[in-house]
Amino acid sequence: MTQDSAAGDRRLSDGFGEVEMSSPDLFLDATSATPAVRADWRAGCLRMVGESYPENTYEIFDQIITWVELFLAQAGRPLRLELELNYLNTSSIRAMIDIFDRLQEAHDAGVPASVVWLYDARNPRSAEMGEEFREDYTFAFTIAAQDH
Amino acid sequence: MVVQPFSGDPVVEADAARLTTHRSLSSLRDFFSSEQILICFNGPISRTLISEIGDALKRHIHVSTDNLSSAMDVFSVYIEMSQNIRHYSAARGYAEPDATATVVIAETADGRYVVSAGNVVETPDGEAMLERVSRLAALDKQQLKALYKEQLRQPRPAGVSSGAGLGLIDVARKTSAPLQCSLDPLNAGQVFLTIRATI
Repeated sequence: MTQDSAAGDRRLSDGFGEVEMSSPDLFLDATSATPAVRADWRAGCLRMVGESYPENTYEIFDQIITWVELFLAQAGRPLRLELELNYLNTSSIRAMIDIFDRLQEAHDAGVPASVVWLYDARNPRSAEMGEEFREDYTFAFTIAAQDH
Repeated sequence: MVVQPFSGDPVVEADAARLTTHRSLSSLRDFFSSEQILICFNGPISRTLISEIGDALKRHIHVSTDNLSSAMDVFSVYIEMSQNIRHYSAARGYAEPDATATVVIAETADGRYVVSAGNVVETPDGEAMLERVSRLAALDKQQLKALYKEQLRQPRPAGVSSGAGLGLIDVARKTSAPLQCSLDPLNAGQVFLTIRATI
C-alpha cells in the first residue's frame, strides 16, 4: 500500500526506529498560523488545538490526512478527533472536510469514528463553524463549550 | 529628540526634509484619526506580516469591545482578503512593485468595522471580480450559505491548495452591508482593485 511506504519513509527520515514505525504518532507544534497537532496512534485520538490559516494547506494537512487514512485502514479501532479550533480560514475548512469525509466513509463501513468539537465559550463563531460541519455528517459529532 | 545632521551635510536641506516629513506625517495622522482607521498597511505583504497585523487587530477589537465574535469576524475577513491578494500575485507571477497590497481597517460611527483591501490586477481580472462581487452582493445570507456549501464541494484544480473562490463567499457571509468593489484605471492594461467589506 502506498500509504504504508509514505508513513514508513517519514518515520525513517525522522530518524525513528522500528518501534516508532509500529505506532506512528504525529506531533506538530503550533505556529502563528497552524494549530498544535497530536495524533496518538495507541489512544486512537487526533487532537488539534489553535488557529489554522496557513496560505497553503498542504503545509500541515497532507500529513494529517495521511495519518487518518492510515489509522482507519490499519488500526481496526475507533478513531476520535478532539478539535479546539478558534478559527479556520476557508482553505483549512476545505482540508477539514477532506478529513471528515474519510471519517464518514469509515463510519459507513462500520468503523466507529467520532468528533468532539470544543469551543471557547466566549467565541460563538467557533461553535457555528462546528455546527456547519456537523450538518453534513452522520457520525457522532459533539459540540461543547469550554470555559476559559 | 532632535537628530542632528551629520557634519558636512547641508543643514538647511536636512531641516527642510525633516519639516516636510513631519508635516505630511502629521496630516496623514489627522486623516487616519478622522477616518477612524485602526490599522493600515501599504507595501509588499508577507505571510508573517499578515499574521502579525491580524493578531494585533483581533486583540485590539477584543479588548476594546469585549466582543470576541466581532473580533473573529473582522479577523477572518481581513485574513481571506489579504491571502486572496497573496495568492493572486503568486498566480500572476508578480514581483514588486505589483505584488503589494493596500489594506485598511477602520471603524464606522455606528460601531461597525470596514475592511478594505486593494491590489494591482490585470484589467480583465479586475472586471471579472467587479462582476463577481456584484453577484455576491445581490444574494441574501441563506443564498450565500447555499452557494458556500456548493463551492465547498467543488473539486479543486490540481495543484491549487488555496480556497479558490470560497474566500470571497465567506467574506460576503460575514458582512452586514453588501460587499463593494471598485476599479481605478492604471497604465498598461492594469487597474487597482479595491474590495470593501463592512462587518
